[in-house]
Amino acid sequence: MSRSVARTFKLRPSLPRFAANRVLPGLLSVALLCVALRVPAVADAPIKALFGAQTIAFSHVAGSGAATAIGVNDPGLREVLRETGATVTWRPGERYVLITTAAPLVVSFAIGDRRYDVGSIVLQASIAPYVRGNEAYLPLSELLRSLDLALRPDGSAWVVQPQLAWLDVRTWGNRTDIVARAGVPLRPRLVTDTPATVAYEFDGVGTSLTGTRNINAGGLRTMQVVQSGSVRDPKTIVTVQLAPGATHDIVRSDDGRDAVIGFGPVGFTAQTPFGEATPLPAVQANAAPAEAPPAAGTETATGATVTAVTVAPAGDGFVVAIGVNGNAAFEWHRLRDPDNRFWIDVKNAQLQGAPIDQPEPAPLGALRVRQIDPTTVRVALSLSGPKSVTISPATNGVSIAVGSQDVADAVRAGSGSIGSVVASNEQTAPVTPAPADESGTNWNSDSESSWKFGPRSTYVPANPRLIVIDPGHGGSDRGATRNGTAEADLALDMARRLNGILVARGWQVRLTHDTDVDVYAPNDSAHDELQARVDVANNAGARMFVSIHVNSFINSGPYGTTCYISKPSDVALAKDVEHELTSDGTKDDGIVKSHLYVTLHTLMPAVLVETAFLSNPSDYALLTSPEWRQRVAQSIADGITRYASQYPVPNQPSQ
Amino acid sequence: MNDAVAVAQKRASNVRGNRTVALAFLLVVVVVGTWFYLSHRPPELGNAVTVYYTKLDGTTLGNLSVSLRPREPGESADEHLRNAVLYAAVQAVAGPPSDVQAIRFPPGTRVQGASVSGSTATVDLSTDVERQAGGAFGETGEFKALTYTVTAVPGITGVKITVGGQSLPTLPGGHLELDEPLRRSDF
Repeated sequence: MSRSVARTFKLRPSLPRFAANRVLPGLLSVALLCVALRVPAVADAPIKALFGAQTIAFSHVAGSGAATAIGVNDPGLREVLRETGATVTWRPGERYVLITTAAPLVVSFAIGDRRYDVGSIVLQASIAPYVRGNEAYLPLSELLRSLDLALRPDGSAWVVQPQLAWLDVRTWGNRTDIVARAGVPLRPRLVTDTPATVAYEFDGVGTSLTGTRNINAGGLRTMQVVQSGSVRDPKTIVTVQLAPGATHDIVRSDDGRDAVIGFGPVGFTAQTPFGEATPLPAVQANAAPAEAPPAAGTETATGATVTAVTVAPAGDGFVVAIGVNGNAAFEWHRLRDPDNRFWIDVKNAQLQGAPIDQPEPAPLGALRVRQIDPTTVRVALSLSGPKSVTISPATNGVSIAVGSQDVADAVRAGSGSIGSVVASNEQTAPVTPAPADESGTNWNSDSESSWKFGPRSTYVPANPRLIVIDPGHGGSDRGATRNGTAEADLALDMARRLNGILVARGWQVRLTHDTDVDVYAPNDSAHDELQARVDVANNAGARMFVSIHVNSFINSGPYGTTCYISKPSDVALAKDVEHELTSDGTKDDGIVKSHLYVTLHTLMPAVLVETAFLSNPSDYALLTSPEWRQRVAQSIADGITRYASQYPVPNQPSQ
Repeated sequence: MNDAVAVAQKRASNVRGNRTVALAFLLVVVVVGTWFYLSHRPPELGNAVTVYYTKLDGTTLGNLSVSLRPREPGESADEHLRNAVLYAAVQAVAGPPSDVQAIRFPPGTRVQGASVSGSTATVDLSTDVERQAGGAFGETGEFKALTYTVTAVPGITGVKITVGGQSLPTLPGGHLELDEPLRRSDF
């Protein structure tokens, strides 16, 4: 009996001993776990804060101080998001909580991870987001900061204070812009305006960007940022010391969230980076000095203006009349049937009035007029077929007569001038002499089965012995660079090596450029440059087009060789070239279909070879080796030969 | 008497015939009306958009689902579609969270606006997108992800890209043709 009692005591200890042995360690473990996970054990009292003219209550609050977290379903947070134009997306079970600001900018928090992203910037929060119940909790101060807001104490109360969070200084040639952004629309006031000093006051916003920065560019010497006022009514004052002779101007974006203060020589105008400049309402304390008129001889004074584009019926077709005020050169292109787009670029010209994008009856199809870059106006037509087009320049413009009849073998590019401008001479690419005999390919084969990928191409090369090699970039466009090594130089070197090998094998070869120059013109647009390369191949009726490039990326991870294509008829050529290129151990990144300009607009089988990554150390070592570049040229030549033997030209025209 | 019966039968036959014609007409109206409604009603956007990103192999796509807010009172179907396109484009340009390896748009690239015309969306990017690393790898990966994401919005099949409010045939020093709307079949 006594033994039985003793056992009972062992099995049922007294309450204090039970608490000491079981409950306390359990509680301690939970508490330690909570500390380790930084999960607040209990929710704190709601935070009431003044936000503008209203009082916001944050009720889904946990923790305190820097570790304060707020639930994504908190009504106060929802109100702040609504006021700032931001949205939050999260559903139970999802790892990421995404805040999309009005900018718009995506701020992403990950459950359990203190790192968070504000756009492309990675930051570290004081606590990691966590889930409690069906609600995600985010670090409050970081969340508000991402919205350009800050929670500030004001005595015993709290204030959600908009912050002047961005003050980017951007230098453009002889001018500098200060771009300011805050959590609310900005209302800057000019409070000081002397030849040496300018000060703007931003009412209602505080900042943590206080201090003085030396700029010394674009008419601007220093910028000092000071916060004044009270917590509830803060002011941020940006004071700029000017260089002698500098002037300033201010505009803001359409939504009022960005203010751009521009500094530069007399006569310049500030522009927002967000489209049309919106003049700031006159809230300045002192009127800015009157600006002097632009000096004679500036770019605007010599440029032409496209004043109107009209369409009128003429005969069995239409005439598109482009009114041009001033002297300008123009250049036109058309693509080959069935892609019957036609466009004419008026150079050094500004479009007066709104862009046009409207359907037109056949044979015009559609008319589009746009300012495609700061100095070029493009008038484009989508013709309903390979219609006859006659271009007639005059002193006051140029007219394009489009007839209803189809024409064969129409000229596909040309240039001219309006007024007294002399059009640039057409550049001709070098052509290697024709070899004495052919490569032995069976040109007369018309085998249907030889076109096994996609729809059978209807392209018949005018010169089946000609291969056009396009060294990527060149001249004013260096392409990717690393340690002084430029893609343009490497591509040209490999293209020259390939040229030598192909000529030795009996091919005719034309390089789009055989020296380090732009194919179209120095500092031209990428479009003009690429179209000029396409024109070389299309106008020559080449059999194949091979563009040689060097890849690059923002980090050193990716490496290897890739062949890019756009058309079904490119696939077989790319397969053979990629096969040969990677047979000697280079990493095979495969054949990638993309919307690349040169492979898309060339009529013949084409491939853009990204030989290796300049941004990867191993590939960089290969690229800087002449022996490796020779192997690349050899491999591409082998791929071309392999392709030519497998896929002979159908319907070969008589030579 | 027989004549009266015959007249009555004929009248009944005519009524049945007219009734059949009327029913057939009604049926046609209902079928055509249903077809017209179904083919012209705005697409249901659902409560999430699929955001694609291109993995570092340069071709494979990954995706994540991002909640889409419901249509708000007073927001027309067209406005909601435009907002959904803008939202999808913003998410695509932002890319996946930073711990996911992906090809990303150049830092600072922002979506400045979006519009919809028919089945084509126009997405305006800030000029930061012109700061490419230099190869076709990045450009292809970026625009493939953007195209797939925006065309994941019901009713959108193409994406026209503008940069800084301007239509660009290609990016400066770039490789991709941007003059025409990009479609999934382009990649």
